[in-house]
Amino acid sequence: MTRDDRTAVGARILSLGGGKGGVGKTFITANLAVALARAGYRVVAVDADLEGANLHTCLGVPTPLVSLADFVAQREDDLGKLLIDSGEPNLQIIAGTHANLAEAQPSHLRRVRLMRSLRQLPADFVLLDLGAGIHASVLDYFLVGDEGLLVLQPEPTSVENAYSFLRAAFYRRLRLAMVGHGVRKLVTQAMDQRNERGIRTPHDLLREVEALDPLEGRRFVETMRAFRPRIVINGVRTAEDVKLGFAVSSVCRKYFGIEGDYLGYVNHDDAVRRSVVARKPVLDFQAGSDAAIYLQRIAHKLAGLPVGSVSADRAGGERRP
Amino acid sequence: MRTLNEQSHYEVLEVARDATLEEIERAYRIAREAYGSGSLALYSVFGDSDATVIRDRVEEAYHVLSDAERRRAYETSRTLEAGDSVECDQEASPSEFDSGGPSTRQVEELSLLGKAFIDFAADVEEEAGDFDGAKLRRARMRRGIELDEIAEVTKVSTTNLRHLEEENFDDLPATVYVRGFVTAYSKTIGLDPRKVVTGYLARVERVRADQGRPRFLGRR
Repeated sequence: MTRDDRTAVGARILSLGGGKGGVGKTFITANLAVALARAGYRVVAVDADLEGANLHTCLGVPTPLVSLADFVAQREDDLGKLLIDSGEPNLQIIAGTHANLAEAQPSHLRRVRLMRSLRQLPADFVLLDLGAGIHASVLDYFLVGDEGLLVLQPEPTSVENAYSFLRAAFYRRLRLAMVGHGVRKLVTQAMDQRNERGIRTPHDLLREVEALDPLEGRRFVETMRAFRPRIVINGVRTAEDVKLGFAVSSVCRKYFGIEGDYLGYVNHDDAVRRSVVARKPVLDFQAGSDAAIYLQRIAHKLAGLPVGSVSADRAGGERRP
Repeated sequence: MRTLNEQSHYEVLEVARDATLEEIERAYRIAREAYGSGSLALYSVFGDSDATVIRDRVEEAYHVLSDAERRRAYETSRTLEAGDSVECDQEASPSEFDSGGPSTRQVEELSLLGKAFIDFAADVEEEAGDFDGAKLRRARMRRGIELDEIAEVTKVSTTNLRHLEEENFDDLPATVYVRGFVTAYSKTIGLDPRKVVTGYLARVERVRADQGRPRFLGRR
């Protein structure tokens, strides 16, 4: 798809979630946004984590005075007016600062409006940096994405939260896709892991749905096929950690019955920590670092650019012709 | 969507029906680690008993598909079970198992997992520029291989392998040995040594020449 085609159908939305805080969602969002902008795409990075906004910090943007919080609080209806220049050509951000912490999550109606507006932003890619947890708004932001990136670290706590997040998002998507009241109720029951019907896995749920209504069963299967999270492992130290992505991809298939695509990984790199301290993308801070190269590779994969166009020398300054 | 019990051996290993032996071996290695006891990927999803059931199915699938005779017999039994169903029209002959080109490959059956593995392995080789230590490390990591696994195969110590990756040229022996190390390293992780050795050694020579000081114990 060319840049012009993309404008015609709306921005492509990439949502970055993972359930757990501190796994590097914001850092990855910031750097992928820069990499895509440098590949010549118009990019908007949105900080949807109103309770812990710091995307602007990762990009070295001074604390903005307008933010997504203005949209949530209905002080501003036009998302376009919340765009801030990042200092990087092609990249604008919508910050998440100054939220009313007593009411940081938007109402359902406001959320629906927000999701529609995101697609209309003047961009080829809109990257959504999600907060931790499985609040309905976080799940909806994840589900609205054309691509949902599941970011996790090679640690039990992160893996556990990532699966919880995936399970919650998956069931929410299913419930929205089901038409009949009885089937929806069944999905809601299955979301309780200690449900009385003994539904343990999506397989079990499918059997029950099929028994209740074969048509809904087919809808169930179609929904599963369309649900394709893309796995990113952050903080990789060993080859064993790299392989975690393949294993999680396999578990997605065997447990959830969904295809989890292993998009890539970012290594544990001191350059990452130092770049965050310096409030700069690692792509600028240390363009030749492995982390910068891996991030650039993920960005190119998302954009469908040839992987051969990645090089250590150009990680910081590449431009799409 | 079928339960594990209903899945074919191909589905269990997540390979295409005309997968080559190499692909089957690779898928088996991934599955064995993914569902091994203590695997991080199972945490909070599959309990011990579930994991044991999957492991048994993986072993069974590998036992059948890794042996040409058993695989052929399995295919025959599947054909008989399915009668004249469409699925069996694309029955692959044993020779096709080993050499299916893109036109005969049932690409749509290849799982994302298999695709990701192939993409990952190709990624680093497609990077621009000669192989340096960092690029070697990235290539190794992409293939999910630890240094001690290379040491075990090549009998080159992990210390020297690490020196290669970190480009501690002062700590490496004479170039002729380094050539041997790099060749062994490349082969073990599945890189063509011809694409690696020349560039890497030129780097070693350049750095050592720049340092321009006499080397004790003839390391030059």
